[in-house]
Amino acid sequence: MYEVERITVEVVSAVACFILVRFMIKPFRLTGETRYLGLPLGFGFLGASYAFSALSYSPFFDFTNRGWVQLLVRAFAFLFLIITYFFSKSEKKPRLLWNTTICILAATLTILTLLAIVSPQVSLSDYKFAQILVRGFSLICLSYIAIYALKSHMERPDPTTLMIPLGYILLGIGQYSALTWAIDKSYFAFFGGLTLRLAGLAVFLFVSYRTFYSSEKGE
Amino acid sequence: MKRIQRRDKMKIFGDLLSALHSESATEKIVLTQVQTKINVPYDRLKTYIAELVDLGLVQDDSSLNLTKKGIQYLREYGRVLDFMKRMGLSYR
Repeated sequence: MYEVERITVEVVSAVACFILVRFMIKPFRLTGETRYLGLPLGFGFLGASYAFSALSYSPFFDFTNRGWVQLLVRAFAFLFLIITYFFSKSEKKPRLLWNTTICILAATLTILTLLAIVSPQVSLSDYKFAQILVRGFSLICLSYIAIYALKSHMERPDPTTLMIPLGYILLGIGQYSALTWAIDKSYFAFFGGLTLRLAGLAVFLFVSYRTFYSSEKGE
Repeated sequence: MKRIQRRDKMKIFGDLLSALHSESATEKIVLTQVQTKINVPYDRLKTYIAELVDLGLVQDDSSLNLTKKGIQYLREYGRVLDFMKRMGLSYR
């Protein structure tokens, strides 16, 4: 039901995330610090999970554990984003710790994804329960990031720094709606969740374009 | 007492290019003023400037000036710092 609409939303979300990766990689490219690598990885994996989701709804694609791969990739996307913010202010934490954390996460994701694809028998049977857990986990990550970004805004109040917390809050409410839909199958929550996700990603795109392109035109 | 944050080289280069750019409006760049602005010892300032000249970001003819590449780098540096600030991320 509503498969065409779902595929459309997933494709649009995936494209938006892949465009965002282009901007999110800039802090890492400028500073060379691996603690900022979580941003492009997070949005890249988020885009991959949406692309995977779109494929799983299409009739041309079928393999047994498609849902598991999508869940894993999405959970790790939020994990990459949260560790970027967690390590962002930490000057005391050594560079080795950031590098090790990124490497461990990337290795774990690769191994789990391969296990889900190559050896389907190791997967848990209760996919629905895992889906609720991942959405709950995503909600916790997004809440942490939104609070962190809001705190940064409060420290140095500036109207330009208010948009990104708003983007994370919209993504968070979208995840909450998706969680509600996973539990009680309310279609209001389902479409509300998808709309809020698109709105959140649109905020990120708006901020990125405004930062990198509107100043260019003004010069 | 407020702790002074440690800067990495990239941040120092960014601050130095920015200071040189703003000083270039004056008749002649006075290095001691640049030194005060970016808060580094004089001998290290000379080393940093030599590195920037090697990288092609600054030219040292009769006076110090930012090259076209240096101005482009400074612009991109400013944009990325602004983006990081908007994202709620800090960069020392």
